Amino acid sequence: MTIVETQNLVKRYGDLVALDHLSLEVKEGEIFGLLGPNGSGKSTSLNCILSLLSFDKGEVKIFGKTMKPDAYSIKRNIGIVMQNVAVFDELTVYENIDYFCSLYVPDKKQRKQLVDEAIDFVELGEFRKFYPKKLSGGLLRRLNIACGIAHQPKLIILDEPTVAVDPQSRNKILEGIKQLHKQGATIIYTSHYMEEVEQICTQIVIIDKGRVIASGTKEELKAMISMGEKITVETFSISSDQMTALRRLPGVITAEYADERLVIKSEKETNNLAAVLDFFKNESITFGRIYSELPTLNDVFLEITGKQLRD
Amino acid sequence: MPIFKLCLKIFRKNWSSIGVFLVIFVSLSCIFAFSYSQSSLSKGFTQERAKVALISKEKTPLTEGFRMALAKNADFVTLPDQTEKMQDALFFRKVTYILVIPKGFTKDALNDGTMKMEKRVVPGSAENAYIDSIVRQYWHLATVYAAHEPNLSETQIADHVKRDLSTSTPVVMHDQHAASADSNFITGYFNFVAYGLTIVMIVGIAAVFIVLNRQDINRRIICSPIHSISVNLQIFLAIIIFALFCWTGFSGLGIFLNLKNQITAPIGYYLLNSVVFTLCLSSISYLIGNLVSNRQALSAIANVIGLGSAFLSGAFVPQELMNQTVLKIASFTPTYWYVTANNRIAGLGAGNWAETKSILNDMAIVLAFAVAFLILSLVIGKRRRMYA
Amino acid sequence: MFLQLFRYRLKCLLRDRLLIFWTLVFPILLGTFFNMAFMNLNNDEKFEPISAALVTGGGANDAIFEQTVHQMSLGKDRLFNLKTTASKHQADQWLKKGKIKGYFTDGPLIRLYVQETGISQSIMKTFADHYRQNSSAFADIAKANPEAIQKGLLDDLSQQRNSVKEVNTGGAKPNNVLNYFYTLIAMACLYGSFWGNKEVCDTQADLSSRAARLNLAPVHKLKLFLAGCCADLLIIYGEILILLAFLHFILGIDFGTRTGLVLLTAWIGSMLGLTFGTFVSAITRKGENLKFAVLTAVTMAGCFLAGMMIGDMKYLVAEYVPALAWLNPANLLTDAFYSLYYYDSLNRYLINLAMIAVFTIVFGFGTYLMIRRRKYANL
Repeated sequence: MTIVETQNLVKRYGDLVALDHLSLEVKEGEIFGLLGPNGSGKSTSLNCILSLLSFDKGEVKIFGKTMKPDAYSIKRNIGIVMQNVAVFDELTVYENIDYFCSLYVPDKKQRKQLVDEAIDFVELGEFRKFYPKKLSGGLLRRLNIACGIAHQPKLIILDEPTVAVDPQSRNKILEGIKQLHKQGATIIYTSHYMEEVEQICTQIVIIDKGRVIASGTKEELKAMISMGEKITVETFSISSDQMTALRRLPGVITAEYADERLVIKSEKETNNLAAVLDFFKNESITFGRIYSELPTLNDVFLEITGKQLRD
Repeated sequence: MPIFKLCLKIFRKNWSSIGVFLVIFVSLSCIFAFSYSQSSLSKGFTQERAKVALISKEKTPLTEGFRMALAKNADFVTLPDQTEKMQDALFFRKVTYILVIPKGFTKDALNDGTMKMEKRVVPGSAENAYIDSIVRQYWHLATVYAAHEPNLSETQIADHVKRDLSTSTPVVMHDQHAASADSNFITGYFNFVAYGLTIVMIVGIAAVFIVLNRQDINRRIICSPIHSISVNLQIFLAIIIFALFCWTGFSGLGIFLNLKNQITAPIGYYLLNSVVFTLCLSSISYLIGNLVSNRQALSAIANVIGLGSAFLSGAFVPQELMNQTVLKIASFTPTYWYVTANNRIAGLGAGNWAETKSILNDMAIVLAFAVAFLILSLVIGKRRRMYA
Repeated sequence: MFLQLFRYRLKCLLRDRLLIFWTLVFPILLGTFFNMAFMNLNNDEKFEPISAALVTGGGANDAIFEQTVHQMSLGKDRLFNLKTTASKHQADQWLKKGKIKGYFTDGPLIRLYVQETGISQSIMKTFADHYRQNSSAFADIAKANPEAIQKGLLDDLSQQRNSVKEVNTGGAKPNNVLNYFYTLIAMACLYGSFWGNKEVCDTQADLSSRAARLNLAPVHKLKLFLAGCCADLLIIYGEILILLAFLHFILGIDFGTRTGLVLLTAWIGSMLGLTFGTFVSAITRKGENLKFAVLTAVTMAGCFLAGMMIGDMKYLVAEYVPALAWLNPANLLTDAFYSLYYYDSLNRYLINLAMIAVFTIVFGFGTYLMIRRRKYANL
């Protein structure tokens, strides 16, 4: 079943086209990753989906119904974790979660249980009476998440929930998302950290300049590109003749040398590591580390757009 | 001079929050200047005229004579004999004195009766005192004539009283300058400045310290290879520049607004006095900057100190009208001495050495405050750094 | 649901210490300052004797004048603290040093010497004038009717009877100082706008992220907003009541006898403050500092024109720009309180109240028009 569907969304800010005929489809039970560099339109598309932003063209359906600002039956089943921490400084951890939950669940008894569960879920038990100002960045993010998911929604939208978070908290957050997914929620997750998206998402869409440039599972995405292997060698000197020779090796797409680091990308189904080692041995070039990797989402992005995912 | 430059940068960044206040202050000052030109605030007895409504319910030679006598010191305003209209007129100061002569009053007064005229006044207006005394004196004399020269007709009594009232005591005034309106304006302005300057200086300077005293920044400065004396000197220099800037702005505005008046007031004294006061404010702001660490609380504190000291010290309400106890309390603030010195300058006669001495004395007290606050803040600042 | 929202909003607002300071503590402090500064302004009756001097000597002394002056310098209710000297030079020295306000010279023609004009000097002149006028009358009567002297002419002349009494229409004396305190209440009401501003910032998705978050909840935005406004109003009104109680019971400020109407005015004033804040916040786009600046500037300028800093300002405005007096909410509120205190009839009060209500409705409706939008072009 399709949970969220957008068709040809267009959003302009003056001359700038933020969303350019963006069409997305999120199916039930997915962890849907929206990946793109900063300013690619991730947050804008979420805000349009949620009817917070007006858009110039297109259509948004959630749970099969058209999304509108007053579509409360839809909103009741969505949980949102905004990119900026959106909590009240004047309320304690417990009060904040209870307040946001009360907007969805009027019944007091039921709510109390939900709030307690949410607090346990984000492990803020010992901070119940703390004010947000006293929490560290990671704890604050966790509070932000608890405020978004306490009412146990069917669809959870997380907009870069791990920005500026320490690794420990980040892992906890990612584990939590997986757990929510296991409990049956459909999850939309945006990030510009490809590792995170690779780690948890079942379906990935890469967007840039408001357009979908690739979508599929991570395996499908990686299959899209011609590169199959990336070999990196740390070495101090290599001549341009030697570079030319390297590029002539079978299956090599590119070979670049910069910052005492040689990167050789090869086509699929070639295994050049042995050939490269032989080459170094024959030319008696000294080198430090050498390693071979499978392509990452960054490579996918790089090959399609010609630029790095991260600046 | 990296820290000096940093301070100036912070001053510039804060300009917007100070700017709002400055706009308010400047516009208030302009209205203030305007209002001075509209209303003559000198309370001199030299033919001060009051706006009077005289409602006489009878017409006798004496009431008419009275009207003429009153006309010398009053501008008559016609009012209907209706309570609400009278209240309105007093409320909006169309008149400051309403006198109703009841029917049969003349006869009753001449026969030593007990009937009284009714007055309604705006309280606290100085002119009313003269009107009162003129009213009383006229009917006083009329009654005396009636008692001791019973044969006189009302018309004759009116003539006699008129003749008696025509004499007046000659007054010799030694110095004229004190009454001049421009000296009044410039004094009022410089007193008013106490309020504006206090807030701008505290907000501007203390904001720098809120940044510099932030633990991480403070530690970084301590760890840098700049001598702590040099750090302090750079900060002082920045404060002095900022203070100079504020002072120039405020006193410049005052002089500009005063241009339309002839400058006879000793402007130099006002400037000197305000420089000393600015210096004192710098050191107060230094102290506050060392005590407060929250930017929002700062604006609250600045307002309370600014308004509080200005009100208590007579920057708004003339000191001579204030309660002695309040002024005693106020004398623990430098603002009081600043305002006192301003008021003395206003009354300064040419070559009046005794007065000059007391003005310098007041300034010395303000300076002493400055030194005291400076020492206090250096001590506190040092402790703070040690335990930071 | 509504109650729940209201309760949480109340909790939230009451913990905003900074706003509580500006809207409650600050007006109370200012009221205390006013009280100290104006303590003496309304009891002009309390009279301090004037330091004066009498220069005797010269040939023709006026013994009666001297006697009269001396008489006026005796006892508790004396007019003068008198110094006497035979040397005019000495008196000049006193005058220059500020030891006396002025001095009389005796002789056929009494003269008054002063250094500046002022109340004390005028009283001295009036005193001398009356003496001259009385002696002129004395000479006149004594010539026409010599036996009058035996009949106590001198006594009659020296005892001025008071032929005037002051009446207060409506039982309330006009009181200039009250106006300062009433402007203070107006200021407190208009500072209530800070709460309204906060309300708008917390419900307009393009103003804060938590507002954006709240917009995504399945609750009607206006419901959320109204619940918040009710909490704001309760707080503003509570604060105004505390201020009124402080002014009345601790500083002894008189509000007249119509307590019910005073409380009603405070209520309407709170509404005005709230809607003023929501309106300004809704029309000034982004920038929290800008919003605060506009609110503070409008409030302070309004209070200044209503006479908070310079009492005469109010009358200058009423005389030269009467329209401004009617368009200044601070002035309307001040006048409403003063009318209650001062007038017997309610005409003026009701006109003021109606104008305030018009402002409130305009602000409220304007706010509604601005915030009813549910989708935003920008976030």
